[in-house]
Amino acid sequence: MYNYTTFDKDFVATRAAQFRDQVQRRIDGSLTEDEFRPLRLMNGLYLLLHAYMLRVAIPYGTLDSRQMKALADIADTYDKGYAHFSTRQNIQFHWPKLQEVPDILEALATVDMHAIQTSGACIRSVTSDHFAGAAQDEQADPRPTAELVRQWSTDHPEFAFLPRKFKIAVTGSAQDRAVTKFHDIGLRLVQNASGGPGYEVSVGGGLGRTPMIGKVLRDFLHREDLLPYLEAILQVYNQIGRRDNKYKARIKITLHEHGLEDIRQRVEESFALQRARFDGADQDVLARIEANFKPPAFKAASTSRFETQRANDPFFNAFTKTNLHPHKNPDYAIVTVSLKAHGATPGDASSAQMRALAEIAKRWSHNELRVSHEQNIILPHVHKGDLPEVYEALRLAGLATANIGLISDLIACPGMDYCDLATARSTNVAQGIALKFDALKQEHSIGPLKIKISGCINACGHHHVGHIGILGLEKGGVESYQITLGGDGTQNAAIGKPTGPGFSADEIIPAIERLILSYLTLRHNASESFLTTFRRLGPAPFKVTLYPAKENQNEL
Amino acid sequence: MTLKSALQIITANDLLSGEVVYLTADGAWSCHHRNATIFAQGAQPLKHLAEIERGDTSVVGAYLAEAKVGEDQAAMPVHFREAFRATGPSNRFIGKQASAA
Amino acid sequence: MSFENPAISLSARVAELNKRFQNTDTVEMLREITSDPAFGKLALISSFGADSVVLLDMVAKIDRALPIVFIDTEMLFHQTLSYQRKLAKDLGLQDVRRILPSREAVLKRDSENLLHRYDTDACCTLRKTEPLARALTEFDGWISGRKRYQGGARMSMDLFELDAEQRIKINPLAHWSREDLASYIAAQNLPKHPLVAKGYKSIGCAPCTTPSGTIGNERAGRWRGQTKTECGIHFGNNAPARPVIPRAVIVTDEGFETEDWAAGFHSFASLATLPEQEKAALAIDLKGDFVAKDLLPWIGQIDLIRVSFPVFSDGRGFSLACQLRLLGFVGRLRAKGHIVADQYAMARRSGFNEVEIDQALARRQPEPVWQARADWQIRDYQNLLRQSA
Repeated sequence: MYNYTTFDKDFVATRAAQFRDQVQRRIDGSLTEDEFRPLRLMNGLYLLLHAYMLRVAIPYGTLDSRQMKALADIADTYDKGYAHFSTRQNIQFHWPKLQEVPDILEALATVDMHAIQTSGACIRSVTSDHFAGAAQDEQADPRPTAELVRQWSTDHPEFAFLPRKFKIAVTGSAQDRAVTKFHDIGLRLVQNASGGPGYEVSVGGGLGRTPMIGKVLRDFLHREDLLPYLEAILQVYNQIGRRDNKYKARIKITLHEHGLEDIRQRVEESFALQRARFDGADQDVLARIEANFKPPAFKAASTSRFETQRANDPFFNAFTKTNLHPHKNPDYAIVTVSLKAHGATPGDASSAQMRALAEIAKRWSHNELRVSHEQNIILPHVHKGDLPEVYEALRLAGLATANIGLISDLIACPGMDYCDLATARSTNVAQGIALKFDALKQEHSIGPLKIKISGCINACGHHHVGHIGILGLEKGGVESYQITLGGDGTQNAAIGKPTGPGFSADEIIPAIERLILSYLTLRHNASESFLTTFRRLGPAPFKVTLYPAKENQNEL
Repeated sequence: MTLKSALQIITANDLLSGEVVYLTADGAWSCHHRNATIFAQGAQPLKHLAEIERGDTSVVGAYLAEAKVGEDQAAMPVHFREAFRATGPSNRFIGKQASAA
Repeated sequence: MSFENPAISLSARVAELNKRFQNTDTVEMLREITSDPAFGKLALISSFGADSVVLLDMVAKIDRALPIVFIDTEMLFHQTLSYQRKLAKDLGLQDVRRILPSREAVLKRDSENLLHRYDTDACCTLRKTEPLARALTEFDGWISGRKRYQGGARMSMDLFELDAEQRIKINPLAHWSREDLASYIAAQNLPKHPLVAKGYKSIGCAPCTTPSGTIGNERAGRWRGQTKTECGIHFGNNAPARPVIPRAVIVTDEGFETEDWAAGFHSFASLATLPEQEKAALAIDLKGDFVAKDLLPWIGQIDLIRVSFPVFSDGRGFSLACQLRLLGFVGRLRAKGHIVADQYAMARRSGFNEVEIDQALARRQPEPVWQARADWQIRDYQNLLRQSA
């Protein structure tokens, strides 16, 4: 875990005080709403459908027990006893009051947290692999780089008023769990031929109205060139990114309109100037950060209780089959705690659950927790011998749902239940699907499947990269849900393709059911996943089942 | 949003609490949709809206929303978005619906 | 102008007209000038504001087909728009021309409709002065409803004047009092602007008009809190283009200061042809989208560069400042326009020395708010990462 320096602590405390002053100036009228809006957004404060919403940064999804407990306290003191973990590894409080937000920021500062740059047309809170520092397949730990980027991007004077928001993700594994190909900048830790450390830099990925897969701008960037190179990309974007149309303002459109070669040339030109500004101090900072991310002191103990309990308890056994991932240390496991109990709102956790997670992490996961973009909580370092106790503690807190990677482990933005931009609800569809397949007792036989649901075209629910994506729109005054198929957010990045006309709120669950039943009949065998089957057969047979009335038409 | 209904109300969010509020007949703001004053579509609601935008600093983001008259003559939302604003999230019993209970 | 005898100077002709009509009844004068071919093609400019109905009624009784130019700044009260439609219908006006600001210019200069917040002069230019100038090109003269009693520069106004384009400008109501207007409206039973009942005595654009109360200068409610009194369409008569220039406030780490640069600002385009003597003290204006390297040939000769910020949410200027510094510019660098106090530290860290704001913004965000950010050098992550201690 990164330990805040005196500098970091002073920064977030001062920032909270500044925001208190800004809120005061808004209330007394010396700041207009137009002027206040970007300032509050830069501090994570939105005004949504029913109330304000405060989005607190959990940089690269990493937090410790003390921080999780503080978040639970905030949920009780300033909100309605729960919070929502977002698809960008952050946490959202949906009912704060404007005058109390400075108090919340102050409370966050005492546990080295903040809400800085979780919104606004600036560089947003950096995201990363939620298994970082633990995964067996990891080549290099992305967290030090992510922390370096966090510090560099915080309050960057040039880049607080960009054409649009700007998102950076970092991964250090072959299996891309950070969706880097769909970020404005995706960084992959790689080595060059001589084994020197560096990055592959992708630019211009994104979801939203115009989904695009990021393109490689530099296949190898020396590690010490990272910050000046990022500065060069941002500087080019800040100056030539479109400001006349917010739907064309993201860097993916800048890249699309100018072409990769033109952007590369501009970036290299700017980089040549920027490079001279860095005298190596950043590498000293990086070295200090890296020292913070040394692996915890793993214990050497027997794992036999794990095997015994698996044999004795079928529920525990089922949990271990879905919710564990291989750890670097063979005696350890990564536990994914599902925030998708069947019928619950994906990503929501009560303050009691958050406290339970804090306590469990403290006792059994070296104090560490992670938030995944798939809206689950990770216990990254659990000794296998402790797993039965961890499972029991999770079960008591209502957090032992064994569905990771399955159909009910779907992600959804808050949708029209909270969001003022939404055109339809999304959580109702998530709940409906989970309950439906739980009732059918089919989800284990369906196998790995990622359903992702967004309540509007902005795609916070990542529907473009869902194996099955669902997009909620409004059509003629009612909710209408469009289905896309074949999306993939990993290193095999693909954008899902729309199947055809949308379904009403009543029709969408039966439509998904038809789709899944046809997959079960179409797959070669039980080990052929939905995505593999779809890639083999294409959309045609699925369209037939989605739109039965049209099955005789030629064009499917 | 295109307004199809001939009847409208004025709604906004309270600056301090963020809560959804409705303009009432006596020019105050109420938390309850049923207290909203109903206008015929036309110059009058636009005039009120312009005045709120210029002078009322107690609310944020005022706009006109479609409405209909319920059985008890009170204003009722037309669009489903406004129905959610008037009650609270549909996935959790919280917000206005909970305070009313 | 189509006066018969070009040998007579225009100003002499205007003086003659003032003398000729000094005791003529207003309606009679209007009848004469609108039927006299010597005046050429005339238009009535009307704001459809508080008293506009008087002149409109008179014109309607003489010639319903007289072109009436109505400048819709797209910032007017909706009451003004509905009042305009009602008057046109009630009085039977046949040729009301609603003139809008140029779409392209608005997109370019005020895409968020916030220009009025930080530069009222530029807003009036964009939405009033330029559209009017465009509309007037086809006319030889224009009729305006200004009154002397409205105060300010209007107190010395004549019936006939020349505008900056040497067009004749007629002010038939110059000598009318407020009571005269009120009794005419009452006698003719004319409809009143709906905002008059709410205390507005002079009505312009919604953002810059407040009720002016019952006493004092009627136009006190226009651009309230500013030194500005005219939008710009009524200057002329060989007068300087701007009677009152809002004083710029220069913000530095020491607080508010007044402008100390007297040598003026040049455009980048003019650099190539600038006479040598002008280069002794050289300052230029740049926009945020300027390509910094284009300045390289001159970069050592420039003393002051002023970068404009059209709206505070447009951060291009910060990157431009950074690049100018990286390319070796060592002179004064100034950010000008809509910058809020909360951006002061960003401006300083990006390489600006100072910020130039107008008085309206300075009043809303006074000196202490800016000075709270004079500590921009501390808590600077980027500096920590760039340079070893």
